[in-house]
Amino acid sequence: MDDEKIQYVTKPTRFTVFLRTFLPWQAWRFAAINLKMVGIIRRSHHGDSPK
Amino acid sequence: MSRVVVLGAGIAGHTAAAFARSWLGRGDTVTVVSPRSDYNWVPSNIWVGVGLMKPAQVTFPLAPVYERAGIEFVQAAAKEIHPEGDRDHPTPYVTAETADGETRKVPYDFLINATGPALRFDKTDGLGPEGGNSLSVCLPAHAAQAAAALAEEVERMRKGERRRFLVGVGHGTCTCEGAAFEYIVNLEFELRNRGVRDRAEITWITNEYELGDFGMGGMHLKRGGYVTPSCIFNASLFAERGIDWITRAHVQKVEPDRVLYETVDGREGEKEFDFAMLLPPFSGVGLTAFDSEGAEITERLFLPNEFMRVDADYTPKPHEDWRASDWPRTYQSPDYENIFAAGIAFAPPHAISVPHKSPKGAVIAPAPPRTGMPSAMIGKAVASSIVDMIGGAKAPTHTASMAEMGAACVASAGANPFTGTAASMTVYPIVPDFERYPDYGRDQDRTFGEIGLAGHWIKILLHHLFLYKARLRPGWRRIPE
Repeated sequence: MDDEKIQYVTKPTRFTVFLRTFLPWQAWRFAAINLKMVGIIRRSHHGDSPK
Repeated sequence: MSRVVVLGAGIAGHTAAAFARSWLGRGDTVTVVSPRSDYNWVPSNIWVGVGLMKPAQVTFPLAPVYERAGIEFVQAAAKEIHPEGDRDHPTPYVTAETADGETRKVPYDFLINATGPALRFDKTDGLGPEGGNSLSVCLPAHAAQAAAALAEEVERMRKGERRRFLVGVGHGTCTCEGAAFEYIVNLEFELRNRGVRDRAEITWITNEYELGDFGMGGMHLKRGGYVTPSCIFNASLFAERGIDWITRAHVQKVEPDRVLYETVDGREGEKEFDFAMLLPPFSGVGLTAFDSEGAEITERLFLPNEFMRVDADYTPKPHEDWRASDWPRTYQSPDYENIFAAGIAFAPPHAISVPHKSPKGAVIAPAPPRTGMPSAMIGKAVASSIVDMIGGAKAPTHTASMAEMGAACVASAGANPFTGTAASMTVYPIVPDFERYPDYGRDQDRTFGEIGLAGHWIKILLHHLFLYKARLRPGWRRIPE
């Protein structure tokens, strides 16, 4: 890959990469992300059954 | 008694048919017309394409499911719409052609066009797995072919060869960059798992002006005290994985070992490859329409790109004048109140991303994505409106504007229950609304994204949940779209 290109790209720290697969943290994120998604789904489904 | 006919059994059509059937009385009929015998959970095709799943794990036969649900299934490709019937009879009908060439007439009172896209590999010379020089993951069979080709490449790398992989889109007007993105990061993950990553050069080629656009103008995420555009996160993800990228590109030709492309700034280039997975541009499936006298009225029902006209504002206007209100809400045909379109089959009023042209005139502009959650929600809203109209309502009663709904999306970045990751994203709304949200077009509290193992677990959960739902198993209606 082009070294000059990569020089200007944000890269994650080792700690950030570690957290991405750290089970206790990810278990919490699993719950948190699901809640966020449910919120979006609820907001988008407004009265979608026949009247 | 009313007859509801659904053309297509993809996410939008299947959802619409299933809900219409469950809400209508037994005196009414629901018929699905589809050329394919199987349902395909398309979002998981990328896993077939890297050899982690078999086509049978992302498909199931529709006939037994429809038989159990009381839905008539006609396995045939829809060809013509006759919204006024013909000289002999005023009943509207569609014609459909079976695999053995027989033409069937299917009468309807309400029609939902959910035919999805035609895969237009023919738009780029040499593109595609059928007679071309590149692979695809659009269909389960294409994905299985890609997996077999990948396995061959891995074997060659195990013998010490260096191989070049090119993944992305094969034309300046493609959509579904998200699917190609999932494929490239899964490919990279698999090459690492198989111990050959150091012998692979992987490059992303895209029509996006910036990485992370995904055909919806990208998004802005609040993170670390900043509001950051998605291109930063996408570039970071690629850089971390050693994936190079070519943006703003229109692929002109795919030769057996290289692509030729031009970019928005007029640069012409070529990129050599040993393995290329390039998605095609889409169009509508080429339905035609005729009035009661047999005169062709296709232009009244469809745009030149063969997608169906609905209640959108199709007035040509410059990007600066695009509005969220241009987007359709009910998906009803402006000419025929008993015809609707759902999912990819409806014609968007314009792109979401800013369109560009190369100096030679090639349009380099990602088309708007309308797959997955929005497709299903549109299908459900259309079914609701039709059920109400059968019950006496004069006009559609339900809306599902992409400028008023959000979407949750999980993009796999490597499939493993302990070391895999996926990018979990939500956007609200899908189509930016700069009148409601002047800064970024979206609600920043409801637009977020993060990458991690939790996303992979969610992606696996959704795979099983949505296949369960599509099989119409007990409680399927409780699973949201």
